[in-house]
This record gives sequence, C-alpha cells and structure tokens, in this order.
Amino acid sequence: MEKYKYLIIGGGVAGLTAAETIRSKDSIASVAIVNDEPYTLYSRVMLSKPNFFLGEIPFDSVWLKNEDWYKKNNINFFGGKKAVKLDSKNRTIILSDDSALRYEKLLIATGVQARKWNFPNSDKKGIYYLRTLEDGRVIMNAIKSAKRAITIGGGFISFETADLLKMAGIDTTMIIRENYFWEPLLDEESGRMIEGALKKGGIKIIYKSEVKEIVGKTNVEAVILQDNTKIECNMIICGIGVYCDFDWLKDSGLKTNRGILADEYLKANLPDVWVAGDVAEFKDITLDETIQIGNWVNAREHGRIAGLNMIGEKIPFKFVSFYTTQGLGISIAFVGDVRSDKSRIVIKRGSPQKNSYGRVIILDKGARKEIEGATLINRTSELAAIAKLIEKNIDVSDKLDKLGDDNFDLKSLIQ
Amino acid sequence: MADLKEYLRKKSDSKFGKIAIDRDLCIGAASCIAVSGITFELDNENKVIVIDPDSVDDDTLLAAAESCPTKAILLFDKSGKQIFPK
Ligand SMILES: Cc1cc2nc3c(=O)[nH]c(=O)nc-3n(C[C@H](O)[C@H](O)[C@H](O)COP(=O)(O)OP(=O)(O)OC[C@H]3O[C@@H](n4cnc5c(N)ncnc54)[C@H](O)[C@@H]3O)c2cc1C
Ligand code: SF4
Repeated sequence: MEKYKYLIIGGGVAGLTAAETIRSKDSIASVAIVNDEPYTLYSRVMLSKPNFFLGEIPFDSVWLKNEDWYKKNNINFFGGKKAVKLDSKNRTIILSDDSALRYEKLLIATGVQARKWNFPNSDKKGIYYLRTLEDGRVIMNAIKSAKRAITIGGGFISFETADLLKMAGIDTTMIIRENYFWEPLLDEESGRMIEGALKKGGIKIIYKSEVKEIVGKTNVEAVILQDNTKIECNMIICGIGVYCDFDWLKDSGLKTNRGILADEYLKANLPDVWVAGDVAEFKDITLDETIQIGNWVNAREHGRIAGLNMIGEKIPFKFVSFYTTQGLGISIAFVGDVRSDKSRIVIKRGSPQKNSYGRVIILDKGARKEIEGATLINRTSELAAIAKLIEKNIDVSDKLDKLGDDNFDLKSLIQ
Repeated sequence: MADLKEYLRKKSDSKFGKIAIDRDLCIGAASCIAVSGITFELDNENKVIVIDPDSVDDDTLLAAAESCPTKAILLFDKSGKQIFPK
C-alpha cells in the first residue's frame, strides 16, 4: 500500500495551496493529492465570468497549474479518483478504484457540491448546475442554441449567470423565492439597487415565487409557477445552494454539521486530520463563532494555514471573510458577518440615490461598539478598511456619526 | 483590446519594472490584497488598483500575482518582457 506523509483529499485551491505550502517548507516529504475531478488546478471562479464564458478569452486561461507543476514539485496527483472511505484507525483512505492510500497526516479539502433540485421532472434535459469545469463546458455548449432561459435562486450564481446569459443574447428570467435580492442579508434598498441593474440589463425578475411544475417531453419546454404563470424556456440554471457530500465519511468518527467541524487551527476532531476550504466549518476567532465560507481567498488562506499546521506549526486562522461580485454595472460586496438583527446597529453610508450605498453593521456590546460586518453596493473601495476595522475589534462607540458621514475616510480609524 | 492599467515599479533591487492590471479580467476576488494589502486596493467598480508598486519584495509581488484566480495581474521585467503569467 502506498504511504504518504501528507495526503490531501480534494485538489481545488485549498488542497493545492496546502500542498504548495508544505512543499515550500519541506522539500523531501511525500505529498499526494486525490481529486475526484480529473483536472489539475483550474479557476473555478472563472466559470461564471462573462469574458471566459462567452469565449472572449481562450478556454485554456482557466488552468492555474499544469501537470508539469505537480511533477516539478514532486506532488503525486491522483486525478479522476474519489475518496470513498476514511479509516482513521488505520490511517487509510480507500479510493473509488479500490486502491488504498495510507497517510501520516490528512487534509480534507473536498469543497461543496451544487444542491440538486429534487423535483418531479427535474431529470429533464436542459436543467443545469454550475460548479465544476464539466458543468461549465456543458452550459457553454447549451447557450449556443438556447433562446429562453430561467435561473432559479437569488444568490451569486444566479446573479452572475443571468448577466452572462443575457450577454449571450438569451431572453432571461430570474425566479426568486424571496421578496428582493439577497433577503435577508441585504436590506430592501440594496436589493432594489441590484434589481434596478438587472432590469436595466433587460433581465426579468419574478419574486416570491417557486416552480410548481416542469413541462416538456425529454427537454425542458416551460415551467409553471405556483400562481400558474407559465414561462417558456429551453434552459434552466439552478443556483439553489450547496451541500457537502459526507457519505464517504460515514463511520469515520469525523464530526460534521453542515461542513466538517474544525477548530481555529483547522484541525478536525480526529488525530492528524485537518480541514480546509469551502468544506470547513471552522472556529472563527474574530467573530467567536463557528462558520462556513465559500470563497476563493478564504479557501486559499485556509490551505496555507492548514499546510503550515500540518508540518507542525500552530497558527490560528484569522481572516475577515468577504465576498464580492459585479455585473451589469453594479458591484456588490459582503464583508464579515452581515446579519443585522436587533442586537446590531446599522449605519448607512451614501445612499441608493447616489448609486453608492453601504451599510456598516455594528455589534452593540453596551459600553463598546464594534464593527462586525458591512454590505457595500458600488463602494468596494471601502472593503479593505472595513475588514481591518473588524479584525482589530476597534471600539467605535464615539464614532457613530462619523461612520455615517459619506465623506469620512474610514482608514483614519485604523490605528 | 484588454483594458490594461500599468504601474511602473522603480524599486532598484527588483527584477520587475512594471505591474499591469487587466481590468477586464479582474473580478475583485481580492486574493492579491490578502497577499499584499499594501500594494493593492479595490476601487468602486470592484477592480484592483495598485496603490504602491514599490511596497514589497519580488517574492511577495509574484505570490500576489500567482494567487489571482483570473490571472489579472501581469508582471514585466525591466526590459518590458512579460514574466508572469508565462
Ligand atoms: C461558478 C462559480 C463561481 C464562483 N465565483 C467566485 C468569485 O467570483 N469569487 C470568489 O471568491 N469565489 C467564487 N466562487 C467560489 C470558489 O470557487 C470556491 O470558494 C473555491 O473554489 C473553494 O475551493 P476549495 O478548494 O475549498 O474547493 P473546490 O474548489 O470545490 O475543490 C474541491 C475538489 O475536491 C474534489 N472532491 C470532492 N469530494 C472528493 C472526494 N471524496 N475524493 C476526491 N476528491 C473530491 C472535487 O471534485 C473538487 O475538485 C465561485 C464558485 C463557483 C462554482
Ligand atoms: S486577485 Fe486578481 S481578480 Fe482578485 S482583485 Fe486581485 S487582480 Fe483582481
């Protein structure tokens, strides 16, 4: 049985960065990556970006590492193989081809999977999900002949795909269960700004609605909504969330919730097992909560810290998370914890009328008031300063009016 | 034509003479900012701008460019030859 000092399951940006970090500190230890997708590292984020999707830049620009890189760095790459069982007592991983690999230290960086629509007729041709390169290829091919598309769900995937479907000349309707965009993470005013941008771009939006029925023989031909509206379409893109596939971890003793649970060192509950990237539900020391985050930088930073901790360091993961997107002439960013329940004060910067609108979310700890998060529409330039203020837990109790002053430079608060 | 914004690097001990940002490619993922927040910053269009091209050493600058998921950061040597991405 092959044995590796460092075995990494999942070859996305988290797994690869961990391997790269380990290799930079230890030039001889054996390192291997097992990756269900047969591909070397590629840019998952590009899959939904118009210039790539519409072929304005070459397809090959999606690759971030080629096979040579793995060879040069002496990292064994098991592409197209899936881990199907973890036996932590014997420190063994069983792969889909029945082979087994032993490890001294294990990293699980398996990402998330697109939630599938479990619905009568949801096996019809023309229903797509966007998570993997293969998904991307299939959709890129399908848009060539599609005329009318609908997107399901009100998240980033729907926002970005609606933009690029429209750019591809396809008549696009978004179906959203909520009352406005990103409810309840955004306030209604921000949601309406996004709606304005989408409508201006010629995209139709139907709120408070769900599909009741899919019509079509083998291919999708239309959907019927709960209020019996019928919308013709030959393509449906589902962005209805993600989940983690833990089937292979059954009986492993690994603690999971929505993701795999990890402490602030990204260490799981089993000996010599670490977790990184989208799959990790980890202790965030800035927020003092257990959270799961799905973005590139977070996954990359996770990979780096997990890699360092696997080789014997003890570095807590400390990073203020954020997510940004842009399209249709609008930029949107979420920073830190953006929940705005009663225990939080929300201070507005700019306004929807000015087409530049931010909300700074502050945790009211009585004597102390600390910034916890922010949502920014067309104000991404303030992202870095806000992230710093969150990270440093700066008391802003006597600065609340300043925070609300559009001309006040947030950077001046960073000591 | 790509929308390139160029920034000259004058650091004497550096092999890089120029940093360019392809604004069409940049998606504001901010990986580069995580690696080197003193070099890069986002603008309101969610695109990166270089605030100080001389702020960090070559290794850090290259690491920041390599971290970008869309390869939007281009690095050139002093003679103007593109070094990254290769
Ligand atoms: C279309 C799209 C657009 C996005 N756009 C952005 C964006 O603009 N900005 C941003 O910050 N983030 C974006 N993201 C999110 C970002 O891509 C992810 O956060 C990031 O890729 C997570 O990296 P990861 O390494 O944790 O997981 P992944 O990239 O998901 O990699 C995990 C890998 O593990 C493999 N795997 C899973 N199970 C097993 C198993 N049992 N055995 C072996 N291998 C397994 C999978 O096949 C996969 O290849 C986007 C995501 C998508 C899908
Ligand atoms: S990492 Fe790349 S895409 Fe992200 S902000 Fe920097 S240059 Fe832009």
